[in-house]
Amino acid sequence: MLEEELLFPANTQVAVFLSMDVGEFFALDSVQLRVDGREVANYLYTPKEADALLKGGVHRLYLGNLKVGEHELVALFNGKGPNERDYRRGATLKFKKAIGAKYLELKINDKQRRAQPEFEIKDWE
Amino acid sequence: MRKGLSASLLLALALAVLAGSAAAKKKPDPDHLPVTRVKDLHYGDVLWWFYQNKNFEALTRLSAYEQWGRVPNHAAETQLLLGGLYLELGMHNEAGARFEKLLTPDIPPGVRNRAWFYLAKVWYARGYLDRAEAALRKVQGVLPAALEPEKQHLHANVLVRLGRYAEAEQMLAAWRGPEDWTAYARFNLGVALIRDGKMAQAEPIMTTVGTIVTERAELVDLRDKANLALGFALLAANEPAKAKPPLQRVRLNGPYSSKALLGVGWASEALGDHKAALTPWLELHDRNLLDAAVQESYLAVPYAFAKLGANSQAADYYESAVRSFADETHRIDDAVTRIRAGTLLAAILEKEAQGGTYGWFWQLKKLPEAPESRYLYTILAGNDFQEGLKNYRDLVYLDHTLELWAENFPAYESMLETRQRAFAERLPRADELIAAGGADSLLQRRASLQSQLDAAETAGDFAALGTEPERAQWARIKNAEQVLSTAPVGEDTAALRDRLRLVKGALQWRLREQAQGRVYHERRALRDVDTLLSTTQLRWQRLSDVRKGVPENTGVFATRVTDSRGKLEALRARLAQARTAQNGYLAQLAIAELEAQKSRIAAYELQARFALATIYDRASSPEPAQKPAAEAPK
Repeated sequence: MLEEELLFPANTQVAVFLSMDVGEFFALDSVQLRVDGREVANYLYTPKEADALLKGGVHRLYLGNLKVGEHELVALFNGKGPNERDYRRGATLKFKKAIGAKYLELKINDKQRRAQPEFEIKDWE
Repeated sequence: MRKGLSASLLLALALAVLAGSAAAKKKPDPDHLPVTRVKDLHYGDVLWWFYQNKNFEALTRLSAYEQWGRVPNHAAETQLLLGGLYLELGMHNEAGARFEKLLTPDIPPGVRNRAWFYLAKVWYARGYLDRAEAALRKVQGVLPAALEPEKQHLHANVLVRLGRYAEAEQMLAAWRGPEDWTAYARFNLGVALIRDGKMAQAEPIMTTVGTIVTERAELVDLRDKANLALGFALLAANEPAKAKPPLQRVRLNGPYSSKALLGVGWASEALGDHKAALTPWLELHDRNLLDAAVQESYLAVPYAFAKLGANSQAADYYESAVRSFADETHRIDDAVTRIRAGTLLAAILEKEAQGGTYGWFWQLKKLPEAPESRYLYTILAGNDFQEGLKNYRDLVYLDHTLELWAENFPAYESMLETRQRAFAERLPRADELIAAGGADSLLQRRASLQSQLDAAETAGDFAALGTEPERAQWARIKNAEQVLSTAPVGEDTAALRDRLRLVKGALQWRLREQAQGRVYHERRALRDVDTLLSTTQLRWQRLSDVRKGVPENTGVFATRVTDSRGKLEALRARLAQARTAQNGYLAQLAIAELEAQKSRIAAYELQARFALATIYDRASSPEPAQKPAAEAPK
């Protein structure tokens, strides 16, 4: 608690979370995260961690500080897609950081109709 | 008995209905409570740790998030999960307090039911059976399918411990769900009935458990245990013929096979079939002498030989038993000395503890390669030792965690010091800047420029909008006009006035020509100034706000760091004391177990010596053949 409050004050704090729903069309291996062109996280998931995501857990992938203003978040997802093929997709979000904590969620969903995974970034106001 | 499993299942199931699982989304189950989706990201973060069995991390995070108000949409689930996590750590009071918070009418019935159920578990663990029973009766309807069998199991156990066997039996007979949980409850009921001398009632219950058809290792073990308990109970009730079938149902390669073989031998012996008794006892004789059943077989085998009239073989076996018992006694003495020295147990546990796991699920997997290790297998089988060992492991884990946290304090202090130094350097400059009111003076200058422009435009003062040379030129013309206005009238002055008028007219024409463009340009420049001023004002405001927060902010952190450091050190001191005490307790348990083994072996040795003496005595003065050659081992 102390560490988080000290290092990541509420005014400048930015947290990026990752969640996964169903996972029938995509098995997650790793995620690379860039903020304003700078790599801030590169996370390789163990089977146990990936399983925890499928059960409904949400991984706090990155916690950092950002100045007030416009920023860009780019997430690159690596894993196995439909038919066990290597799958690599990206998602981008331009967001505005005001004074106060900012929470962003990387969501991996199954698109049943297209039998494909879907990657999106949600900005939690 | 199934404490570990029950704890893991408890928490896993608690969460199965709390978080939106993939399966739940695909196929809604009408038997389950409505699935709660993660509505607060931080709650999902806690679940991520929890689902990896990293419960201490989950507990720490959830407590922090709750305090920061980051899980407002999962208030009830938070309490339920916190209670479960505390329960898992064995902190019953904390767990109970959390569950009790959920017993209000505004909490959904499903959550409230689970709270009553977990509270019943807390009461049961603490020995408050009446309260546990009352809590279980508060559960309305049926719990989610995954929890209901555990509730039934718990309720039956509570009733058994309360001595209300008939009710427990009735409840178990009515149960139509999966057998695993109720098998344990039935076993407990059977054992309680046997202890109460109600053999007729116990027999069918134990037979049911002893004939379960299953491939699950846990239930197979329980089946063996039930058969063993029933077999020995029937032997004690002097019904050897009925005792044999359950004893023979025990697997030969299972943990209870030695005792079962011994029992089968005694059943045959009691039926007068000494030869049949020898078969299982001789099988036992080749096994590890640490096992109490094997020790007994060292006496039983020569006893049977003596009964069969083979006194020479009986004497050989008795002599061998005396030697083995004496050797074993020496080894036990050595082991006790080493354990008393205190290094062995700590070393084993210390080494094992590096793994970083904790809680009720943990089991010691590897024993050190030391002479006394062979005794630890027996000691570890005891529930008291297992529980003590787990508590010790938890203490080691907590100490390790606190040590890691403590290592961060110098970094925090250094960070705060650096921040303080930076403030000390920059604050005077900032204060000076703020005191100078830079933003305000800029605003005033901007307002002044605006009014000058407006005035010039209104008054048609085009010269004011001119360039520097133009304004200087205009000033010189005005000055010359002033001089000429007081000069005497004459030809020379008239010529000068004409020239001045021409020059002024030309300049005026040029100024007027460019005035519109210049006004437009100036107004646009003012707009740019406005944008810049607005940014400046915002920054100014932020600077002022930050400045106001500086001294308190750093000071509060410094105090918190100091306080936390003190708390942490106090906790670590308490943990060290608890560890020493627990280490001593475990050593005491181990020694007590070894002393018990030693006493048993000493008694067997005495019996063997006595029987041997009898055989030798008889050999030296032969008696009629009918007299027994040895006493049955006691």
